[in-house]
Parts: sequence; C-alpha cells; structure tokens
Amino acid sequence: MAAVKQTIEHVESLEKYQHGFSTDIAQDFAPKGLNADIVRFISAKKDEPEWMLAWRLDAFERWQAMDEPEWAKVHFPRIDYQDSYYYAAPSQKKGPASLDEVDPEILAVYEKLGIPLKEQAVLAGVEGAPRYAVDAVFDSVSVVTTFKKELAQVGVIFCSMSEAIREHPELVRNYLGSVVPVSDNYYACLNAAVFSDGSFVYVPPGVRCPMELSTYFRINAENSGQFERTLIIADKEAYVSYLEGCTAPMRDENQLHAAVVELVLMDDAEIKYSTVQNWYPGDPVTGKGGIYNFVTKRADCRGDRSKVSWTQVETGSAITWKYPSCILRGEGSVGEFYSIAITNGRQQADTGTKMIHLGANTRSRVISKGISAGKSSNTYRGLVSAHPKAKGARNFTQCDSLLIGKTCAAHTVPYIEARNGSCVFEHEATTTKLSEDQLFYAMQRGLSQEEAVQLLVNGFVKDVLQELPMEFAVEAQKLVAISLEGSVG
Amino acid sequence: MSLSAALKSGDVTLLPGKRDEDWKWTDLRGLLRVLPAAAPTLDLAGLVDGPFDALCDERHVVAGGRPDVAIEVPAGGELSVALRILSRDGGALTGKIGIRVGANARLRLLESYEGDASAYVTDTAITIVLEAGAAVERVALAADGAEGVNVSQAQVTLAPGAEYGQTVITNGARRQRIETQVTHPGAGAKLRLDGLYLLEDKRHADLTTGVLHQDLDGATDQFTRGVVRDQARGIFQGRIVVEEGADRTEARMRHNALILSDKAEVDAKPELLIFADDVQCAHGNTIGALDEEALFYMRQRGLPETEARALLIEAFIGAVTDRIGFEPVRDIARAWAAERLRA
Repeated sequence: MAAVKQTIEHVESLEKYQHGFSTDIAQDFAPKGLNADIVRFISAKKDEPEWMLAWRLDAFERWQAMDEPEWAKVHFPRIDYQDSYYYAAPSQKKGPASLDEVDPEILAVYEKLGIPLKEQAVLAGVEGAPRYAVDAVFDSVSVVTTFKKELAQVGVIFCSMSEAIREHPELVRNYLGSVVPVSDNYYACLNAAVFSDGSFVYVPPGVRCPMELSTYFRINAENSGQFERTLIIADKEAYVSYLEGCTAPMRDENQLHAAVVELVLMDDAEIKYSTVQNWYPGDPVTGKGGIYNFVTKRADCRGDRSKVSWTQVETGSAITWKYPSCILRGEGSVGEFYSIAITNGRQQADTGTKMIHLGANTRSRVISKGISAGKSSNTYRGLVSAHPKAKGARNFTQCDSLLIGKTCAAHTVPYIEARNGSCVFEHEATTTKLSEDQLFYAMQRGLSQEEAVQLLVNGFVKDVLQELPMEFAVEAQKLVAISLEGSVG
Repeated sequence: MSLSAALKSGDVTLLPGKRDEDWKWTDLRGLLRVLPAAAPTLDLAGLVDGPFDALCDERHVVAGGRPDVAIEVPAGGELSVALRILSRDGGALTGKIGIRVGANARLRLLESYEGDASAYVTDTAITIVLEAGAAVERVALAADGAEGVNVSQAQVTLAPGAEYGQTVITNGARRQRIETQVTHPGAGAKLRLDGLYLLEDKRHADLTTGVLHQDLDGATDQFTRGVVRDQARGIFQGRIVVEEGADRTEARMRHNALILSDKAEVDAKPELLIFADDVQCAHGNTIGALDEEALFYMRQRGLPETEARALLIEAFIGAVTDRIGFEPVRDIARAWAAERLRA
C-alpha cells in the first residue's frame, strides 16, 4: 500500500509550490525605503569598518544616477524601490555560538526544506555518503554556517560575508568588486549599496576542498528584498564545488532578489558552481506575485589553465534576468555553462551566458536547454566574443528550446563577435515541440501522457543534469517534473 | 532613427548608432559628422552597361536627379529587370523603388549597386509586393567604393503560394548595410534568403534580414557566408519570428564565416523568436579559419599552398552562388565573386 500512498501524496502535491509556506519569526527590519541612511543603517547593523561604508555609499550614489535596463525580453510594472525593506533579520541578541542557540523556528524551516544544518545529522548518514557544508542565509543575514572547523583544518575559509569583512578584511578588500565592479549594471550597483550578507569562500593554494560547499537562500519576510553577495576565491591549483539553492514563500506581491556572485580563479584553479533556483514563480493563472530574480554572476579566470563551470537549473521566479559569465583571461583557461531553464504559467526568463575570450587558447562550452509551457516566455541570450589576443580561442554553443503548448514563447538571441583569425566558434540552436512519435511510443508502452512528457523532457535536459553534483541532480530531476505538472492536456 | 530621415532633414542626430540595438555593429552616427549635399543629376549619356543589362527586358537607373523607380509585372506576366543604383561624386542619394508582381507573374530582379571612389552617402528603400502565386528571384551585386556609405533596405511582402528567392553578394564599403525584411503569410509561400560578403582592407558589410511568419505552413531557408581578411568587418544579423498560430513553420538559418587575418572581425546575431509550438526552427553559425586538415590534404596531393587556399575559399563561397536559380546570372555572380577574391 506504500506505493498507493506515495501516489496519492504525489498527486496532492501537483501544481503546488512546495516551499511556499512562510514562517512567523520575530524579525528586525530596517525602515521601509531606500536612502543613504538605510545604507548607513545596514552597515552599522553589520558593525562594518569605515571603508566598507564608504564603498556602499559610493555605490548608492552611482546607482541613483543609473537607469533601469529595459533591453531584456521581460515585462513587468516598474519597481518602486521605496516600497520595500532592504534589511530583515531574525531578531537575536548576538550571533549564535552554536547551532543550539539558533531560533528553533528557523531550524524548523530548514528541516522542512530538507537542508541539513546539523553536522551530526549529516554525519550519522551512510558511511562514505557525500557531505556538504551549508551557509544558510535567511532574508538578509546568514544564520548558520556548518563544518567551519573541519574546513579550517585544511585552510579553507567558509563563512558569511559579514564575518569575512570582520575576520578577513584584507581578502575581502582585495577581491570584492574586482570581478563585478560597483557600477557594472543597475542591479549590481544596487546590490553593492545595500547587500546584507552572503557567503565567502577562500580555498588556499593546492587545496582541494574536502566537501561540497553550499548556500541556501530563503526569503521569508514580507515586502523585503534579498541582496546577497557571494565571493569565492580559488587560489593556485585549488578546487571547490559550490551549490546554491533558493526558495521563498508564496506571496501576492513581487519581491526583489538582486544578488551578485563573484568568482576569482588563479593558475590551475577550478570552481564548479551549481544553482538550483526555485524561487516562488507567482500564481500560474494570474501571474500575481513571485520573485524578481535579477542576478549578476561572473567568474574571472585570472590564472592560466583555470577552469570555471556554471551549472544552473532555473525553475522558479516570476522573472529571471541572469547571465552567469566567464572572463577567460588566463592562457588556456576554460569556461563552461550548462543551463536548464523551465518556464510555466506566466513566468518570464531571459537568461544565458557571456564567454569573453581574452587569453590565448581559451576554450568555452555552452549548453542551454530551455523549456517553455503555459503562457510563459523563455529567452536564451548569450555573448561569445574573442579579443584580438585570444589566439586559438574555441567555443561550442548549443541551445535547444522545447515548446509545450500553443501560448508559450521561446527565443534565442545569441551574439557572436570574433576579432581574430585563429578562433573557431560554433553555434547551433533548435526550437521544436515534443515529438509526437516519441510521445506516442512512450504512451503506447503504458505511460500516461504526463509521465511520457516527463520522460521526454528528462531526456531533453540530460546533457545538463549529468553536470550537476549527484544530490542536486536528483532534486533537479524532480523539480523538472513538478515545474511542468499540468502543462499538457 | 534612420539614414533617410537624417538625409531629409540634414540632422545627424537622427542617424542610427551604437546605442540602437539593431545598428550596434553598423554605427553611422559615430561615422558621419556632416551629411553631404544631394548628388547632382546624373547624365545617362555615355553610361556604360551594368553587369546584368544584357540579360534584361527592362533597365532602370536610380541616381542623382532620378531617385524613384516603379516596376509592375501584370498578372501572369514574366519580366527580367536590371536595376542599377549609381552613387557618384560624393553626393547624397535617397532612392525609392516600388515593385509589384501580379498573381502568378514572374520577375527576375537583377540589381547592382555601383559606387565611385568618392565619399558618397546612399540610402535606398525598396518595396516588393508579391501577389498570390507570384515568383521573384532577386540577385544583388553590391560594388561600392571604399569611401562610400550605402544603406539599402528592402521590404518584401509575400502572398499565399508566392515564392521569393534572394542572393545578395557584396564586397562592402566604408559602411554598408543591406537589409531585407520579409512578411511571410505562410500558406505554402516559400522563401530563400542568401547572402555572401567578401571583404578586404578596411571594408565593412552588414547583411541584416528579418522574417516574420504570420500563419500556417511557411517555409524559410536562409544561407549566408562570408570571407573577411585584412582589417575588414563582416556582420550578419538574422531574425526569424514565428507568430502565435503560425504552426507547421519550417525555418532554417545558416551563417558561416571565414576569418583570414588576425585583425579582421566577424559579428553575428542569428535570432529565433518563436511564439508557436508546432514548428521546426534551427540556426547554425560558425566562424573560424580555413580548415588546416583540408589544406594539409591538398598540399600533400601536390597543390601549392596559395592554390590550395584559393580552391578551398572558392568552394566555400560556391555553396552560396550555386543556389542562384538562373544559370546565366549564376555565372555572372560567380565571376563577380572570383574577381574579388585574392588568395
């Protein structure tokens, strides 16, 4: 009967956003609105040094002079930046010394989300099972970071950004804003002014980070925006794999998530950055609510032979505006981008990557799979460029779009700029619907229409799924199925 | 924002520039600080024949003092037209060409852009309307001068069952854009859009196309190739839009470019914007140098390197010229291209 029960549970969970609950937790808010005082308030809350405040205020000043970008294929009413809270943190007197001091309500949230915050809970698992360290960011602050001690033993620094500013100011000052400059774009600039927390990772030379690192972002408070900043530095010959997950409650108003992620890679370093983005997508029928996900992610391959790999599964958010990029500066450096973007209901996604080849013999690979269903719109927008000095640069890009239903849209907008005679760029793109023949075959073998679609879609995105770390791949596969529930028939 | 508006008013701020998305790689505003005066009336006496004159029933010239041309093919008729756009003496020219092809009529439109060595600015607007079952083959050879600025924009409207084939071959100019926008009703209409750019020195060519599929059963086949060397810059922008309801559309777009020097540049933007689900759309884009392995193979068979390169390039561009339907025109186009290639 277990199977029957499971089926019933599965059916009940269909078309539901499973992470849409909100939790009542005593929270500190900054006053609503945005001005220089709010920037000072956030900085003061974080006990930041003077240079950090100056950096923020400078960013805020520049942001006021900037215009919101309008070129993306997404439509939404103008955001009122004064109608939002820029800082929300669970109330606590001081930072918790251990997990026991963290508000049990918050722990319950993470338990509900299936995020292991208790080290022993993870350790108690099957012997040899992969472990991963978690930095949990709840609204504006990091509530807990696990496995810090064990990581410190090998020299890896993994902590929240505010802690890094306090404990490792020399590293932060050196690298913060060096990949994504303060005034890079509208949302990155806003982030620089008001970012509240995020993760910081430093992997020293020659160290292979012994476990997966991950950050879990949760927006809980109403009317608040989340602005986190992540900085990962892989020194010479270092390796780290980093995972990022995110969810938010179901609310009728739109909430802004404007994050900045900076990756720095020295000689022979490698970073694998995976994202499973499952923000609340808004109401599928009316399109009301949902997260605006305006994120700037960029990796700077400064060292020779360094390698960065972005893998993303984008299923949530009302609007996604995100282009994880690679600046391939070091000779022989490699950039990879694997992406699955699924839109359903009234979601809009404009996402892709930028591969900027500056050094000789740099290589990049882009595999993007877009799936649109319902009344959604899904755009791949990418840039591949080779500088005159990027002799022997190579790129391969493949972007495939799958359309399910008559009212969705899929767009491919690639930009290719080749500025020297020895680069080789290849790009191919296809847009099709699910093959009737394959569907018929699968259904004739006894699968329901929904199952058949799931099977075909999973096949369609397989190239990307297999790039994900194992624990994420399983979750992502389920997510793909859930995101497409109700899209056929 | 257009060249014709700027020429009309003399206001350079109306020129399209880098900040206009569709013109980001063909910046006219940054290039032209002043606009030239209108070109003087061209005396046709003593004008030597254009490349296609011998093949045609009708000959038209667009030049200073004679900017407008109207061409009409009655229903069921058949016509070959040579259309020459002559840019001379550093003047400004705004040409307007209206073409209507009646039901089941056939038109062979053989166009040549002929510019002298002066710094002229030419803007040509062409409208081509095809009625049901009409067929048009348009071949344009663009031989602009190295100092010239030339923008040609064609607006093509197809009716059900119409067939339109186009091949544009250019060796660029100081700034040149040859644009074709097609409204495609589906319904069995067929479209072929080909292009070829062969650029050297500091020449610039921009082949831009847009196809709007509006209803069921449309077919588009698009194929552009380019060879750039020295400090030349080739641009391909292709956009295929399939509107909601335009199901069973089949659209293919290919762009391949060869870069033969380290200072040359190729920029490409092959876009697909799809609002219908039952479609087969694809685009492929490659940019790179000559295939070293093919070169090695040919040299190992005893061909000198320069000859081997020339042969490979000839084969590369031949794939586009071979698709021209009418053989005498195909031969002229091939010879024209071969003349502009040096190994």
